[in-house]
Amino acid sequence: MVHVLYIEDESEIGNWVAKDLTERGYEVTWLQSGEGIEKYVLTVDIVILDVMLPGLDGFSIGKRIKKENGALPILMLSARTAVEDKIEGLNFADDYLTKPFHPDELAARVEVLLRRYQKNEDILELQHLTIYTKDMRMVERETGVEIQLTGKQYHLFQYFVRHLNQILTKEQLYEGVWGERYFEGDKTLMVHIRYLREKIEKYPAKPSIIETIRGIGYRLKI
Amino acid sequence: MRKFFQSLLARYMFLILIAISIVQIAYIGIALLMSGVANNDGELYQGSNDENENAIEEKWHKEANIMQGLSSEEIEQHFKKWKHHYPQASMFWVNENGMLTKQIDVKEQLPLEWSPAFTAKFIKERYGGDPFTVIAFVGKDEMNGFIVLEIPRSEFYPPLSKIYDKYGGILFFGVIFIILLFIAVSFLFFRGIRKRLLQLQDAMEIRDVDGLPIQINVKKKDEIGQLEKTFNQMVFELKESKQREQKEEQLRRELIANLSHDLRTPLTKIRAQTYSIAKEDLSVDGKKAIKALEVSVVNIDRLIENLMSYTLLMASKYKFESKEIDVIRYVRECLASWYPVFEKEGFEFEVELLPFEKNKWMVDPIWLGCIMDNLLQNVLRHAKSGVYICVRTESSDLYDAIVISDRGKGMKNDSNEAGAGIGLTIVDMMVRGMKLDWDMASSEDGTTIKIKKYK
Repeated sequence: MVHVLYIEDESEIGNWVAKDLTERGYEVTWLQSGEGIEKYVLTVDIVILDVMLPGLDGFSIGKRIKKENGALPILMLSARTAVEDKIEGLNFADDYLTKPFHPDELAARVEVLLRRYQKNEDILELQHLTIYTKDMRMVERETGVEIQLTGKQYHLFQYFVRHLNQILTKEQLYEGVWGERYFEGDKTLMVHIRYLREKIEKYPAKPSIIETIRGIGYRLKI
Repeated sequence: MRKFFQSLLARYMFLILIAISIVQIAYIGIALLMSGVANNDGELYQGSNDENENAIEEKWHKEANIMQGLSSEEIEQHFKKWKHHYPQASMFWVNENGMLTKQIDVKEQLPLEWSPAFTAKFIKERYGGDPFTVIAFVGKDEMNGFIVLEIPRSEFYPPLSKIYDKYGGILFFGVIFIILLFIAVSFLFFRGIRKRLLQLQDAMEIRDVDGLPIQINVKKKDEIGQLEKTFNQMVFELKESKQREQKEEQLRRELIANLSHDLRTPLTKIRAQTYSIAKEDLSVDGKKAIKALEVSVVNIDRLIENLMSYTLLMASKYKFESKEIDVIRYVRECLASWYPVFEKEGFEFEVELLPFEKNKWMVDPIWLGCIMDNLLQNVLRHAKSGVYICVRTESSDLYDAIVISDRGKGMKNDSNEAGAGIGLTIVDMMVRGMKLDWDMASSEDGTTIKIKKYK
């Protein structure tokens, strides 16, 4: 079970979020200040951190956590919405969500971070496919046949899985997978997506796993 | 008084005084030099030319008178004595037989035998000519022969002319040297001033990490030193002012952060409660009320955000960092984050972003993001009925534009300035702040907004 460390001084909000996350299947440890976080830093899977706290503020606590465990994702959850605050938070944290927020949005962002850090369950059911995200294996559920991808297809699919449900522009995809600057009109990405669809889609002519969002980019949606 | 002597003015006056004094000193120096040389240059230089010539002529005649009956050796002794007195002079003796008997330092070729005709010719040639020639009969009797003295006329020139001839080169180079010396001293003086002024200029242009000029070392107490001191004082005051401003900025940020926290925390609590209530088994009216509450929470949140942005913009305190970005790419990324929201509301989302002639716009990406957020939020709030949004590019000879259009019921007032709401006021301020332009056309069939960059 994914273990969430949640630090929030407002008891009403803290209770609500902790309860909601627990109902969603997470193990939640809720603290009202940064005191005593040391014993959780190496054991939890993700930290949700408020900024305005008694004693040390959320920015200082977050920096300390990242210093001790750089592989621990941190989501800042704050009522401070100024650009400067967001920039300061995102200097070390992985995401910044402002209050008031919808619990669905919080849960979605937690999921994205867990996937990015590969901390959640490693099995993903995607239409007719079962994907083992930790070792990026893909099996067709009905036949049990493992789908083999080439190097670039593998990296492309891995990038999609890590950004599940997010719309990725051509530039983001190309630069994320190829590590080079994308130039308008380059067909490389389109060609690779076509090959990838041929391998993973049931009907490649009518793709439903990798969606094309016209004029914007692509999305792998559950 | 001490201050005056430390001043550049005093130093410059001193330099000018020296320059003027050099002329006087040179004049006195030359006068002394001439008198010294004249004293050392023997009798020739005393009195006028005429006086000298007459005196020599008279002396030579006297010398001739006492030479009567002297032997050749004795006459030579006399000649040597004259030669000692007049080193440039030449002398010769023609005896009673018309024979050239003795000559000292004669440069021309003289005949050994002097006929009366030649003698007459010689006298005629030398009369008033150069060298100055004195012919005297020995013992006042033409039968005893005659002695001749020749002295070059240049020996009778005035001392100044002679000194100029002798020491002219030294004098010329001396004057040139003094002029060059004055030029060099003036050059060094003004170069020193120029160097210090340039250093001051550099100090004014160089910026420290805080963006302010750096202080400089004051080495002298003259006018430039005073200027440097004043400059340092100005830098110090600027630093103080900057620190004060930073402190005020920090206080302002803290105030806004606290205000934002104090307003949003209860909103979050309301949302928490509505979320919890929504999970209960509610009537249709109850569900409607909860939905209305949730919408109100979102609207108040947005209003708080807009009010804060507006306040900051009005006070010119909204952080602005302009940089060159690929605007098509930026807008596409912005739309990628908004697409799911419109998708959830059932909008048809049309995107047609074609490259401009120049995709790079000099803008603040945060400001541009804020503009896009405001405009897209407006479509979501006010044009829901049209369930359509289109974001496209448009280019003309005059401008490139990002165009956002919807099929909502339109805005009653299509003015950019009045009644357009705080969101559009922020859009207007930010668009103009980035030296862009925008216009809006609204009718019952929808609204179209263009963010333009003129070519």
